[in-house]
Amino acid sequence: MRVKATINGRRIERDVPDSITLLHFLREDLGLTGTKEGCGSGECGACTVLMNGRTVNACLVLAAEIDGAVIETIEAESKDGKLSKLQEKFHKHHASQCGFCTPGMVMSLKSLVRENPKPSEEEIREAIDGNFCRCTGYKQIIEAVQDATGQLKKPEDIHYA
Amino acid sequence: MLENTRREDLTYVGRGVDRVDTLEKITGHALYTGDLRMPGLLHAKTKRSPHAKARIRRINTQKAERLPGVHAVITGDELDNRLGLYLVDKHVLARGSVRYHGEAVAAVAADTPAIAQHAVELIDVEYETEEPVLDPVAAFRRNAPLVHPDLGRYNYIKEVFTPLPGTNIANHTKLRKGDIEKGFKDADLIVEREYSNPNVQHVPMETHVAIGQWLPENRITIWTSAQSPFTVRNLFCHAFKVPRNQVRVFVPYVGGGFGGKAGIGLEPLACCLSRKAGGRPVKLQATREEEFSLLPCRSGLVYKIKTGVQKDGKITAQKMTLFWDAGAYADYAVNVTRASGYSAAGPYEIPNAWIDSYTMYTNKPFGTAYRGFGHVEVSWGVERHMDFIAHKLKIDPLEFRKTNALKPGSLTLTGETVTEHTGNVTRCMEAVSREIQYGSLTKAEKAREKRTGMKIGKAVVALHKAPAMPPFTATAVIIKMNEDATVTVNLALTEIGQGAYTAIAQIVAEQLRFPMDRIKVSLDSDTDKEPYDWQTVASKGLVLSGNASILAAQDLLKKAYETAGQVLRASPVDLDHDDTNVFVKHHPGKSVPFSRLAVGYAYPDGNAIGGPLIGVGQYIAQGLTNLDKETGQGLPALDWTYGAHGLVVEVDPATGEFNVIRIASAFDAGKVINPKTTRGQIVGGVLQGLGTAMCEGYIYDESGRLMNSSFTDNKILTAMDVPEEMVGIAVETPQIDGAYGARGVGEHPMIAICGGLGNAIHNACGADLVHMPIRAEDVWRAIHKIPEPPRTGFLRGKSCKP
Amino acid sequence: MLYEFQYVAPKTKSELLALLDRHGDSCKIMAGGTDLLVDIRAGLRKPQVLIDIKKVSDFKPLSFSEKEGLLIGPATTCADVIRDKTVSREFPILIQAAKQLASTQVRNRATIVGNICNASPCADTALPLLCLDASVHIVSKSGSRIVKLKDFFTGVKKTALRKDEVVEKITVPSSMAGGRGGFMKLKRIKGHDLSLVSVCLVKKGSLLRVAIGSASPTPVVLKDFPAQVTADNVADEALRSVKPIDDIRCSKDYRLFMIKTYIERLIEEC
Repeated sequence: MRVKATINGRRIERDVPDSITLLHFLREDLGLTGTKEGCGSGECGACTVLMNGRTVNACLVLAAEIDGAVIETIEAESKDGKLSKLQEKFHKHHASQCGFCTPGMVMSLKSLVRENPKPSEEEIREAIDGNFCRCTGYKQIIEAVQDATGQLKKPEDIHYA
Repeated sequence: MLENTRREDLTYVGRGVDRVDTLEKITGHALYTGDLRMPGLLHAKTKRSPHAKARIRRINTQKAERLPGVHAVITGDELDNRLGLYLVDKHVLARGSVRYHGEAVAAVAADTPAIAQHAVELIDVEYETEEPVLDPVAAFRRNAPLVHPDLGRYNYIKEVFTPLPGTNIANHTKLRKGDIEKGFKDADLIVEREYSNPNVQHVPMETHVAIGQWLPENRITIWTSAQSPFTVRNLFCHAFKVPRNQVRVFVPYVGGGFGGKAGIGLEPLACCLSRKAGGRPVKLQATREEEFSLLPCRSGLVYKIKTGVQKDGKITAQKMTLFWDAGAYADYAVNVTRASGYSAAGPYEIPNAWIDSYTMYTNKPFGTAYRGFGHVEVSWGVERHMDFIAHKLKIDPLEFRKTNALKPGSLTLTGETVTEHTGNVTRCMEAVSREIQYGSLTKAEKAREKRTGMKIGKAVVALHKAPAMPPFTATAVIIKMNEDATVTVNLALTEIGQGAYTAIAQIVAEQLRFPMDRIKVSLDSDTDKEPYDWQTVASKGLVLSGNASILAAQDLLKKAYETAGQVLRASPVDLDHDDTNVFVKHHPGKSVPFSRLAVGYAYPDGNAIGGPLIGVGQYIAQGLTNLDKETGQGLPALDWTYGAHGLVVEVDPATGEFNVIRIASAFDAGKVINPKTTRGQIVGGVLQGLGTAMCEGYIYDESGRLMNSSFTDNKILTAMDVPEEMVGIAVETPQIDGAYGARGVGEHPMIAICGGLGNAIHNACGADLVHMPIRAEDVWRAIHKIPEPPRTGFLRGKSCKP
Repeated sequence: MLYEFQYVAPKTKSELLALLDRHGDSCKIMAGGTDLLVDIRAGLRKPQVLIDIKKVSDFKPLSFSEKEGLLIGPATTCADVIRDKTVSREFPILIQAAKQLASTQVRNRATIVGNICNASPCADTALPLLCLDASVHIVSKSGSRIVKLKDFFTGVKKTALRKDEVVEKITVPSSMAGGRGGFMKLKRIKGHDLSLVSVCLVKKGSLLRVAIGSASPTPVVLKDFPAQVTADNVADEALRSVKPIDDIRCSKDYRLFMIKTYIERLIEEC
């Protein structure tokens, strides 16, 4: 199947096998390995990318389906060697531990913040309900988003007894 | 080491500096093993057993071998190499018989994963099924079918473990302290109950993956998502009788481990396929389903606790019998049993103790290390038991815990004397109890009960853990100075998300007095280039590698001073340094910059002295002993990290549904090196512990097939499940032999959350639970006294009766 | 994917119907693909041809008119419904249920029609559509027919759809517009999960309707009740109408208990 699409701002035109997923296409054919596979069945969100501005699990989209679509992946999140605001705050708040869920997590949050510049804590949690993280317990991720959207009241820290 | 350094004298240690490993991760450029590309890479898939126990009559691979694109097909018959860490009981592929549903019996390497999968489907295996043994207590019975009839022929570490040939007991750890009979005689009340937990998956977000390349003359390279590169190398070389220097193990970024990647996994199979495919590299990546059903998990556990206690709340005796459901192989699980054998009573003083901890073979997926092993599991029963006894005695459960808490002068189960430097569990309990306003409901909580119709309960639980490791565990760190006086740190402790490299960088910066941006910790580990480290496990990294880092930094400075002394014509004892220069203390104007010493000092005429500056630090655990095999007495613990959790939980008294409102967790960390990474470990560990407590666990059918080998039915918690409030608290009683007084806290946040949840639920609504996970349905049954259908209980890991 | 299939994306309805006619058993219709691709990956289904219906231009998108009622096209996703202002005003119950379906990423792809055609006993959007008396509009090369949603489900993952047929829309009569109600779903965690049991209630005028999921081979709608019905009456009828089983997610008796509880709570709330 011949597909034309825009991926991270660049137009591509390729023949893709009918039965490969967008995730496979990004990772194996385009070398965009920032998008990870965590389960292959749309549960964990490690492969979250934006398709026409909305988050999708790249493991549940066929490469053939992206004809005419605009795809954004983690590789386009920082520009000219500069981190995006979300990335900056992920760094600052230790929102990434092993890092495997991070690309998908950032994509889900990018989509959230784009549509909703001041999301509530509940809305942040809902936005990443489909992104499993086994390391952080999500708290520092939520705080990173609150900080990125100018809503973090006081940075949480451990207490000393 | 440096445990008495005052906070105000520290610049980097103790500060919440940025992590050193996140920039690549947040930009998507961090390369994990599955992201690596190499010329000629082949892809592997495994053929797996559809039976829990069967003899393999015949495997026909002809059709698979003829499939275009297939480069190697391999079966267990070709591989007589045994693998195992403490007990060498595994083959690379099943040989002769299969011991669990899903065990790999053959494997294929092909041009693409799809071809490999197709070839796997063309492999024909003929089985003769046998009756599996699926319950650890049934496996213990005399005349139970044997999972490993050849147990008597296996190698194992004889000083530590006790397999019993002719039975399903892979290890029996005994603990005998004091006089158990007398202890029970002295008791006013004896309470005996049984508890159980199922198998649980670690669920690293990155599934296990290995790339192996086996070239002629045994030159072998392994790229793998392992926690412990040297253990992979060691066990590999042991199995294949290859010299250590011929095998290179390379670990890039690792997407989480939690113990599941601590030992050896897919690496040998990938390598064997490569050897058969003429040396082409072969990649074997587990699917998520394989992560659940092919790779190891946490052992299940069925256990009995019998406690004697006096009216005033003093425990006089405790007898525990633990049947660990290790599944089909126990090479790592025997050490889980051992850890529980010497620590099972929790952070409480038991004057007379008797523990029998058995590693049972069954025909199920096999157990291994999982964050806090030997403790998370037992803390469920122990902490439920403590509350149960306190209620019987009509003593407040927190007071009961404090009465029995280990304190300076106490003797641990193994006879170690607790000192004022060991850590303070009582302070941890007091800190969390203050934080959750233990003892009564606040006004706001009462109003909340009224508004929601829910019942609120609170609980405080306590915990401890020391690294479960050999007494002679060792590590080393190398620090190399670069031309511009930046430094690169090499170590084989891996960064798996825990934040160890950030802490190491802080310690090195502190020692060298260099700013953080001049410290780089090399982010991948390579056994050809990094110095030895045993394993990245057990919360031992900060103590052992932290100390080695201090020593390496001091060694580097010593060497810099030696050269600087010659340049400055001063004795090294008269030298000091700042972040740029080495100078003479009494003539600070006489100085030489590190950058001119870094790779050797050159005089203006070209003469040179010194050479590249490299600091080396070795550290080995000291003063520990193996435990006496009959009594369990000895010194097993590098350091005890104590902790406590306070939970506030609300329960719907009609439906049993519950919400965790608040969790406060305190740990005696000795010294917090980085409060942000510490908090990350606390919050992340507590949530993982909550997952174990409320929803995770393997469910089997009667034939031993795992029924929930995917995220559809093996849920892990999401951001929606995070309690409303989570508080992390640090107590700092410095550890004398910890780096700057620090202890590990990596595993501890996960321990005892299960018991805490059970107790808070009990206190809220009276539901008395003895099996975890605690589902809403279980709470409902307990409240309304509706028994669970026995069949479903069994399948979830509740034991049949012995 | 680990095996190969052919992907086709017809641009018109007639092209689609011809394809269905030609491939019959060996093809599978794909809309969002969030169930189908999971099944294919797991080896549960092995179609030779996948027919993507999202590019069929003469299928209608989501719309509402007094005359036709609510029209849900075959490519209408859960996210489309959730974001739609008219649905939010006229059929809020549908949004409540759609929001409970899986995660954001899945809702952005999964279609309502797909959720219905997949015919899982736990299909979240089936319950409000049953309560709203939805109709399924089916076409094939040989003609078209309309089936009430309650007659559409014939068993676990089975529907009244023949091999050569496709659902071209689901409609909800405008008489149900403005109906109010609630949707309760028992899950194992607070995060995204399948329903262990779910109950949906819709009240419109003097009518009260209740549907129940994950408690029978198909989602079930109870007979119509008067708006003033007591919870006991509804619960009695419910317990007569469902046949829950013990499975690894939940046991039968807890399912029955929660159905009763949800009915009581919904009647009290609505």
